[in-house]
Amino acid sequence: MAQLLEGMRVLDLGRNVAAPFAAKLLADYGADVIKVEHPAGDPARRVGPFLHDEPNPETSALFLHLNTNKRGATLDLATPEGQRILRRLAADADAIVEDFAPGQLEAWGLGYEALAADHPELVLASITPFGQSGPYRDYRGSEITLQAMGGSLHSNGSAARYPVKLGGHAAHYYAGTAAALAVMLACYRVDAGERGDWIDLAVYETQAGSMDRRRYFLTVAAYTGYPARRQSPGSHVISGVRPTRDGYVNVAGMHRPDALLRLIGREDLLGPEGIERSAFTEPGAFLDEVETSFLAWLLQRGKREVVAEMQDRRILAGLLQTTEDLLQDEHYRSRGVWETVDHPETGPIEYPGRQLVLSETPKAPARRAPLLSEHTAEVLVDELGADLGLTRADLPRLRAEGVV
Amino acid sequence: MAAPPPPGNTPRRLPLEGVRVATITVFWAGPHVTQLLAEWGADVVRVEPINVVQPGTRFAEHVAAPEQARELAEQGQIFVYYPDFEPGDEPWNRNSEFNAHSRNQRSMAADVMQPEGREAFLRLIEQSDVFIENNVPETIERANLTYEALREVNPRIIVLRMPAYGLDGPYKNYRAWGTHVEGMIGHHLIRSYPDETPDRMSPAFTADALSGVTGAFAVVAALRHRDRTGRGQQIEMPLAEAYLPALGEYILDYTMNGRITPQLGNRHAAHAPHGVYPTAGEDRWIAIDVGSDEEFAALCGVLEAPALASDERFQTSQGRWMESEALDAELGAYTRAHDRHELFHALQRAGVTAAPVHDELDALASEQLAAREWFEETEYPGVGTHRYPGLLFRMAHTPNRAPAPPPRLGEHSRDIYLELLGYSAGEYEALAARGLVGETYAPGVVQWPSD
Repeated sequence: MAQLLEGMRVLDLGRNVAAPFAAKLLADYGADVIKVEHPAGDPARRVGPFLHDEPNPETSALFLHLNTNKRGATLDLATPEGQRILRRLAADADAIVEDFAPGQLEAWGLGYEALAADHPELVLASITPFGQSGPYRDYRGSEITLQAMGGSLHSNGSAARYPVKLGGHAAHYYAGTAAALAVMLACYRVDAGERGDWIDLAVYETQAGSMDRRRYFLTVAAYTGYPARRQSPGSHVISGVRPTRDGYVNVAGMHRPDALLRLIGREDLLGPEGIERSAFTEPGAFLDEVETSFLAWLLQRGKREVVAEMQDRRILAGLLQTTEDLLQDEHYRSRGVWETVDHPETGPIEYPGRQLVLSETPKAPARRAPLLSEHTAEVLVDELGADLGLTRADLPRLRAEGVV
Repeated sequence: MAAPPPPGNTPRRLPLEGVRVATITVFWAGPHVTQLLAEWGADVVRVEPINVVQPGTRFAEHVAAPEQARELAEQGQIFVYYPDFEPGDEPWNRNSEFNAHSRNQRSMAADVMQPEGREAFLRLIEQSDVFIENNVPETIERANLTYEALREVNPRIIVLRMPAYGLDGPYKNYRAWGTHVEGMIGHHLIRSYPDETPDRMSPAFTADALSGVTGAFAVVAALRHRDRTGRGQQIEMPLAEAYLPALGEYILDYTMNGRITPQLGNRHAAHAPHGVYPTAGEDRWIAIDVGSDEEFAALCGVLEAPALASDERFQTSQGRWMESEALDAELGAYTRAHDRHELFHALQRAGVTAAPVHDELDALASEQLAAREWFEETEYPGVGTHRYPGLLFRMAHTPNRAPAPPPRLGEHSRDIYLELLGYSAGEYEALAARGLVGETYAPGVVQWPSD
């Protein structure tokens, strides 16, 4: 069956998370993606967790996850031969995703203007911490520092303690997804007869524009002069994370306070027309009584029972699950979320499979991430050898020269 | 029917010019999709009732009194806020939540749960390329607006459905916001303080953000496919499943190694110091991320902390990581004396990855965002002139500004009914007389604080 992005050709020059995730989205849904790594490999290969915690460039969970469905070639773009080969690869590409420091591609003669000169339909997406311009252009950025300056980090956690980041590489996954969107938009515009484009994506600005509170609170601050703040635990009555007999739940009782009071057997606290909302905005004995009754009710029940009972009454509620709970959860199992992918080093293991369930172009089974340089000969010699003047006999020389 | 030209015929200024998107979205995830599509040229039509209040969009279900809003603003809580806390005559056109994500769109009055509204909506679907919704699945089924129903009207339609957990499965109709979804998929525990129970965390809504961008990506990809094959389709994208890839390495750590990821807070898998450290002032912090011996030496140099540099425990990456709690405590004693911005620049000049922790007032004053003209200062009628968040990315050869204000409730009803949907003026007036279409809520629909 046809794939969503059938016929699209992409080069992934990315390292670590953001650019490789952009290319993974394109690859997972059918684009032909060639991942071009430095001969030393994508730095993500050196980031754990590893199989059995033994460092191995072929068993990094991060790398394996981020590079499914891509073919892998190595190329040192600092060498003239590497640059010549990349220019040839670029000539066939609809899009390139890269994350080098601003000016690096230009220094190699591989900037947008150079690559697009003979290929005006090319789309180049450049992902950097702060963008291609501005006073911080050359500053370093990482997950925690870009969340800190760009995003909602200051309001994560508890008012009494230090602020905490979002889990893992949240900012870089968001930025990578935005880059994939930008590539699709620019390619769609090319389909309509326009030229290609150079996309300037700053992770900092994707954080500033993130729907995870930041763009809302920026507007609040512009309207009122007040920023968001970390909240004190319990600052929202009958709402937020609460303990149960066997774990934690997250509930929004304030969304349906009448239903919640009935559920916990405190109809006596309801007035003739239900709860006055104002009763919940003034601290005092009433709130203490509600919260105490609620906690007592929760602690007599298991977390799954609590969530099921609340959902029966249309009260927003969810579990706090561990990754083990998640992998065992019958809901995700029944939906076929997990996909088993085989690999020579790890054997078959389960990955997050697809985020899109497509009625017309269902996602094909995943191909594992490439071993380092696995498809170099296939791409450079078998496919482009005639154009590049390369045969398999040239590979030892290129290897010795550090090009591949 | 909207039939876009074949590829290569009609140059477009913006990528999505000529693409029409009908939308019934609530809260943040669905609106983020439509925001992004509208910013890049799509004609996004919000379908909104005026005879009842649709919760979670313009927040007319709770018109906030100024005193209460000011108190919650001082606490920095998520709430319904208006410019200077004043609801004005039409608070549903003035609230920060709606106005943060709804520019460049149109609004058409229709209650799809009523026969008249359903008829108008289906006529819109005939004229649209895409329909986007993020409601509880049973709501869409009750309204009979599933893909099966819509493609009868327009076989080329692309339908994006964004339930919290899926169109089937045990959690199908579970109600959730982003914060609940993140608990269910493990993110809440992973991001919690390592040394405290997870109920000490404020909510995060990262699943709304990621699913919004992923949804926009999927829609454009499906448009490309449709233009090439003539075939529309349904895209089912639960918020929970859209976020799972962002937890990929933790999921694989379990499936590969059987390890359950603990609560991590600011801890990194290999880097130390890696965290947020106090600086001069109240609730002022700097984030520092050190991955090598050279960077640690540079950090100690900038902080004039030779004792830290020579401490036996901190000589190697491994040692710093093993002793990161002690290191964090000692480092905090040095950073506390510094101004966060001066320290930021000094560390960056020395090659250390660092950045001040910025709240929204800091962000509005950011010299980097100012230099890149990131904020868009725009006047919204009846709201005033304010700065709004800019684009997630910019393009060299495509216009990067699309500054139309968000639509007032029902603002474009008449134009759309008469010019797009084929209603006569008489038919439109008859619906208006019954309070089903118009440019404001029908009388008595909105409860005011003094009521």
